[in-house]
Amino acid sequence: MVEAIIEVDGLVKHYPLTQGVLFKKQVGAVKAVDGVDFVLNKGETLGIVGESGCGKSTVARMLVHLERPTAGLIKYKGEDITGLSGRALKAVRRNIQMVFQDPYTSLNPRMTVGDIIGEPYEIHPEAAPRGDRRRRVQDLLDVVGLNPEYVNRYPHQFSGGQRQRIGIARGLALRPEVIVADEPVSALDVSVQAQVINLLARLQKDFDLSYVFIAHDLSIVRHISDRVGVMYLGRIVETGRDEEIYDHPTHPYTQALLSAVPVPDPEAREHRERIILSGDVPSPTNVPSGCRFRTRCWKARERCALEVPLLAVPAVFRHVPGPAAHDSACHFAEETRVVPPEEPAGEAPDDLDEGGA
Amino acid sequence: MLLEVRDLHVEFVTRDGVAKAVNGVSYAVGEGETLAVLGESGSGKSVTAQAVMGILDTPPGRIGAGEILFQGRDLLKLKEEERRRIRGARMAMIFQDALSALNPVLSVGDQLGEMFVVHRGMSKKDARARAVELMDRVRIPGAAQRVRDYPHQFSGGMRQRIMIAMALALEPALVIADEPTTALDVTVQAQVMDLLAELQREFHMGLILITHDLGVVADVADRIAVMYAGRIVESAPVHDIYKAPAHPYTRGLLDSIPRLDQKGQELYAIKGLPPNLMNIPPGCAFNPRCPMAQDVCRTDEPPLYEVDRHRGSACHFWRDCVNG
Repeated sequence: MVEAIIEVDGLVKHYPLTQGVLFKKQVGAVKAVDGVDFVLNKGETLGIVGESGCGKSTVARMLVHLERPTAGLIKYKGEDITGLSGRALKAVRRNIQMVFQDPYTSLNPRMTVGDIIGEPYEIHPEAAPRGDRRRRVQDLLDVVGLNPEYVNRYPHQFSGGQRQRIGIARGLALRPEVIVADEPVSALDVSVQAQVINLLARLQKDFDLSYVFIAHDLSIVRHISDRVGVMYLGRIVETGRDEEIYDHPTHPYTQALLSAVPVPDPEAREHRERIILSGDVPSPTNVPSGCRFRTRCWKARERCALEVPLLAVPAVFRHVPGPAAHDSACHFAEETRVVPPEEPAGEAPDDLDEGGA
Repeated sequence: MLLEVRDLHVEFVTRDGVAKAVNGVSYAVGEGETLAVLGESGSGKSVTAQAVMGILDTPPGRIGAGEILFQGRDLLKLKEEERRRIRGARMAMIFQDALSALNPVLSVGDQLGEMFVVHRGMSKKDARARAVELMDRVRIPGAAQRVRDYPHQFSGGMRQRIMIAMALALEPALVIADEPTTALDVTVQAQVMDLLAELQREFHMGLILITHDLGVVADVADRIAVMYAGRIVESAPVHDIYKAPAHPYTRGLLDSIPRLDQKGQELYAIKGLPPNLMNIPPGCAFNPRCPMAQDVCRTDEPPLYEVDRHRGSACHFWRDCVNG
């Protein structure tokens, strides 16, 4: 039984641009997030991918109430939590925790690891009785694979990967149901990324967590996510199960994004078709009319400037059940496979054996 | 060979001790060839490049031993004056972060033009005209108008293209690109790498691409040198290394890339952490993290064994590794 734990409906975040000192007047707005809808089901991982400035981090910050939405709803277990404040907000916040991108700046350098991980208990004293906190912190260190004896150390005594584990332990302290992870591995070295991804996957099983996993690395998002949403300039342009998005993308932006990712296989160099987009992402203060991707899209026609495409199953696929029939905000959606199908493990079966060991 | 680095040693003297950043690195790049230097932070890949360019901070840095032969001459024996004439004109560098590598108070036209004024003795007016040409060449729209703009007025991708323009201005024989696309988004990264490859073909220059991204390497490199703890642990043509890595570290890196058929399973992860450069483990530096390590690995430092004529691996057990 699929049970929605978070529902986001028409979420908008505009930052006003003002002019003048005494008589401030609004001259425009940075439309960081401009109408985002999604559902996170219990126990699943929703991946959100997109390039810098697409609004994915702003969505994350709104989910944990670090930013207040300009418009739209965030529902937690069916209850609208957007307007909550005071005690009611605090109660909800316990259940939605965040893991930040940069393990170097998101941990207070003057606090010991024990204080950092235990700080949530200061804010929510009902979560753990005072006398029990140290033990709980040590348990958490153990859970994330750090030596429980490290409680009195300071963040600078740890490597990047270890710090990210501390950040994860802090996120787990209140036993939340939802964890919003904003680029949790992008600051880490390749050999350490896999360790942290494995940790997150294990914790999800052990603690029955639901994840919103935000990243720009498409292969990592695919590995960990059940469903994926692709964001561009403040909106989700395509969303579906991971194989629907990766193997049967129908939105031109998703296709360009996937084709641009370098594939770690030199054999693919020759027979890979790449879509090189021209130009840069437009400024979120001045969003193009109609479809916001049209200024860089090779398929754009007059209709794209006039009519905003809705995020829904495109008409061409509506009556053909199959992996291409998923939500895509494009007037001219077409299915194109851009990533060459990976050969089944035949070529290097030994790697896998070793990987499991 | 265009550039040959031989047995280079670089260390940094700090208050806490001596950090051995580069411990006997040798590599070579030919004309028109792309060598990818792959490694994680602290592997010494950037420090080696800085030593080649002659922009290492000394002190605290110190070149302990080695030779850097560029077009047959040992750069380490040249006077600073002579090196300055080579730097920028015959070898150039592209940095990761264009915003901090460009001067924020000079227009991009002045910075591009400076190359021609300093190295070619051109007048300011001619230099500006060349700057516009270059900006055009790296596809900056409206180059003639934008030549007076400052770095912050450009997007990240455009700034990186301006850096490329500056590096290629005097048609150097060798370009070192240190993580040139790491700070960029994937769609922009593809534009920039495409441009770089095109210009490299046109000028037939040697390119050293420093990166941690196995995907980028597979896309553009001819050869790879994998670095770990200041040494080259594997060196091979690009096709060989992806097919059958001859060093457990390379194998570990390749295996930790998420693959389709592994979805839902645990990813392979190299255990442990990269070593502290002030205290590199004896024997093979990778031995505490290596799944194949034996006693000999903890005592004897492996030389770069010859796997075949084009490949080397610094692993006592490279045969077992190549065969899976």
